Amino acid sequence: MLRPGSYDDDRFDRSKRIPWLDMEALSDSRVLVVGAGALGNEVVKNLALSGVGDITIVDMDHVVLSNLNRCLFFRGHDAQQKGMKAQLVADGAKDLFPECRLTPWVGRVEDMPFPWPGFQVVLGCLDNVMARLHVNAHSYHHAVPYVDGGTDGFRGKVQVVLPPDGPCLQCGMNSSHQRILEKRFSCTGSDVSFFMPKMAAEITTTSVIAAIQVREALKILSQRPDMCIRNVLFYDGERGESMVLEMEKSEGCQNHPIM
Amino acid sequence: MGIRLKVKNAEMGKELTLELSPDETIEDVINSAAEYWNKDSGAYIIRRGKQILKGGMKISELGILNDDVVELIPDPEGG
Repeated sequence: MLRPGSYDDDRFDRSKRIPWLDMEALSDSRVLVVGAGALGNEVVKNLALSGVGDITIVDMDHVVLSNLNRCLFFRGHDAQQKGMKAQLVADGAKDLFPECRLTPWVGRVEDMPFPWPGFQVVLGCLDNVMARLHVNAHSYHHAVPYVDGGTDGFRGKVQVVLPPDGPCLQCGMNSSHQRILEKRFSCTGSDVSFFMPKMAAEITTTSVIAAIQVREALKILSQRPDMCIRNVLFYDGERGESMVLEMEKSEGCQNHPIM
Repeated sequence: MGIRLKVKNAEMGKELTLELSPDETIEDVINSAAEYWNKDSGAYIIRRGKQILKGGMKISELGILNDDVVELIPDPEGG
């Protein structure tokens, strides 16, 4: 017997109306989010609200006041108390979706103790090329799909890496990426002893890029990688334009077997 | 003999014409264009149509003809 309005008793009723979205698979999925800054905040929010069952969050930094223009889960007192980003994002997401298993790891991704094959997808929310390359290499080696996001002011990009056949992040890089390998952009609470100019960062671009990242992850988790971006989406928020560009595997890239 | 390549700046909408030798690479194009427009140090890619061109590829390998147009696009690395 149908009770009027009973469909509103289901948290995910409206998600279930999307034909290709596999809610059971999302609930059983384990996802890694690397970076709990601006993008990480939005990505974890979107994953939790979408019903992903298990989220591990990695970040080594603490909150500073300048994060608060674009980080949903941080508050002024977190900056005063130097709260750790990974923990705060996990706490905030738990509040949104209590059934979600959230595991914060406060530390560098290079030191992360969780085995890579345990994850169904990795989302990169990082602020430097070096860490991106590390995550890219490990994900590709373990055949785990990797969805990387990046922002700069009103510009952003999302790249979807689908091993074993697709190009990886490193395939699209050149000497301009080499030159900024360890430079960190936007979010940082770590102490620095030299001047490091900060990059423009704001919530609207962060939200757009994080939304696209999570949407691509949902496609992968629902066994629909055929629907994914091939291979990089570039977004220009000032002009309100985006474009999807293709790239090929690079012969010199060490992440791929010799072709 | 040099090849004329037009490089469009995705941020400013301006265009630059480079005269390139066949052995010069896409990275040479990025470096020249970035220097010409006084770009901040950052990462950039070059696209031709829907394709991102690999940095190490030579002009001669890409089949570039005189007055072809490519675009210099910043590659956002913040998060």
